[in-house]
Amino acid sequence: MKTELEHRARPFRGLPAFLWTEVLVQAHEELAMATSMIVQIVLLVFVWVLNPGLIGVALVGAVLFSMFAMGQRVLNEAAYIRIDHKVSDLYLASPLSAEAYFLGISAGVLLVYLAPVVVVATLATVVVHLAAAEVLLLALLAVTVWLISASIGYVFSTAFRDNRAIWAYSSLFFNIFGVLPPVFYPFGLFPAPLRPIVLLMPPSAAAAILQAAIGVTVLTRPELWLASGGLAVEGVGLFLFAAYWARRTVRGG
Amino acid sequence: MWGFGFVRAPFSPAHGVVRAAAGESPHAVDARLPPAEGCRIPPRYGRRTALRRRSGAMTGEALRSTDLRKIYRSKGAPPTEALTGVSMVVHPGERVALLGRNGAGKTTFLRIASTLLRPTSGTIEVFGYDADRTPDKVRPYIAVVPQEGKPFFHLTPREQIYSYLRARGLGRETSKARTQEALDRMSLTEFADRLSITLSGGQRQRAMVATVIATEAPLLFLDEPTIGMDPFARRSVWESLRVLTRRGSTILLTTHYLDEADALSQRLYIIDRGTVLVSGTAEDLKRSVGGTLKVLLPEGAAEVERFRTFGSCVADGESLTVIAAPERLGELMDVAVRSHLTATVGPVTLEEAFLRVVGRSIHED
Repeated sequence: MKTELEHRARPFRGLPAFLWTEVLVQAHEELAMATSMIVQIVLLVFVWVLNPGLIGVALVGAVLFSMFAMGQRVLNEAAYIRIDHKVSDLYLASPLSAEAYFLGISAGVLLVYLAPVVVVATLATVVVHLAAAEVLLLALLAVTVWLISASIGYVFSTAFRDNRAIWAYSSLFFNIFGVLPPVFYPFGLFPAPLRPIVLLMPPSAAAAILQAAIGVTVLTRPELWLASGGLAVEGVGLFLFAAYWARRTVRGG
Repeated sequence: MWGFGFVRAPFSPAHGVVRAAAGESPHAVDARLPPAEGCRIPPRYGRRTALRRRSGAMTGEALRSTDLRKIYRSKGAPPTEALTGVSMVVHPGERVALLGRNGAGKTTFLRIASTLLRPTSGTIEVFGYDADRTPDKVRPYIAVVPQEGKPFFHLTPREQIYSYLRARGLGRETSKARTQEALDRMSLTEFADRLSITLSGGQRQRAMVATVIATEAPLLFLDEPTIGMDPFARRSVWESLRVLTRRGSTILLTTHYLDEADALSQRLYIIDRGTVLVSGTAEDLKRSVGGTLKVLLPEGAAEVERFRTFGSCVADGESLTVIAAPERLGELMDVAVRSHLTATVGPVTLEEAFLRVVGRSIHED
């Protein structure tokens, strides 16, 4: 049997075990789990009251919004472990790789909070009559939004020394990226001059692509390229940057 | 079972107190220490790996720092020099304590040694690997109890220890067995399956120490490991650390409990303002203050001049404390009797020696 010293250093070493640790930690947060969909449900009710015909768009948006909200949880969790518990050093000064630490926190949060998102996605599939290809597109966009959001969340978590400052910023992200842009409502209702901006924001870009796929919104070719290209670049770029940043910040930045 | 063939590394002989002379490079302190003989890497932890080491490959040192400096720079504040050239050697199987006042540089040193902080200059090697340039090679050899670290509140101590061992790459059975042993050793069995959020501060700290002890890593860094623990728990930790070093692990710890350093460490370094003031055994340090006996004369302050010839004297209000060598105790007591003074005799404690060494440094500045 190999001893721990005989393993070669590699990225994501120790990920499964640390991921399981995070799942165990998060799974005990029953209250947080119970309230994880409150904002989405409130926004769904608003849309349903104002225009029941848009509930399908709002349901799809709720899935993407929920995946984006995971990033905020990563921000809070990573900062909590480092600032409040001061237990990050235990893991980072060990054979567990820094990349595994970052991805373990992110994926742990995802696994624990995924179940209600799957319920909403199933509801969206039924209400909007999504075809198989559209379901796959929804899944792909949801994963991309999560990856971007988790990467941003982790990187920002390393910048703070006080959790109270994080509360303010996470609320800002949550509202600027998730509530304000056309995620719960059609992209076409958003003022035209500002559309390029929201097409660079992960949740609204993903929502616009999906709305176009199901025929709710018409995107011009440049808009489609901007949204899809932006998501691809942000997804790959931010994930790689977060992995690099995780390694770099192990040693005090 | 997880028992492994650690051969206890022979403890290097007491080096005696080595004090940095005025103007002398701190590096020179360790340069004057005799080299350890016969120390070797615990076989289970990769003799093969150890032989592949580059610099310092055959020196048999668990840790060596040379002229290590760290300057913290932050916007809007003047640079802070936390380490001003720390040179230190820790041999395999040793228990070494780093002592110093708050802000002396102990934690900074530990963080650099444990690959969590980069030095500004100087070198630091762990089992021959450069901790600054090749941290990935160092990390399998080390485990860290962070200062003020708390276990995950929503894990039980058993889950905490087991999952940490698994994350370090240990197998299921090994992790399970080591978890149970660490729980037993730290008297945590009763609380092993309760969420840490329901435990007291001292019990949580025990869970943190148990987590690191269970790794049986070749080099353990413990930053104030017994803070908040009751005297029984502290002794459990001490005993666990002694067992670990008997099996070949090396311990470098910081503490503000001088009795702990006295009881536990085989050698100690006193750091102040980023510099090693002295290193040696606790006994040597006590002797270095002029004697191993402390004579307290509750009303002797007025007679201080009569006692100066016996050793260093500290007057505090009406009382006088004299640090004296045992062979002069009879003579000293005669003087006390002739002066109609009562006297209490006790051993010099490490705390008194520490206060004198650090106090002298402050005074010199």
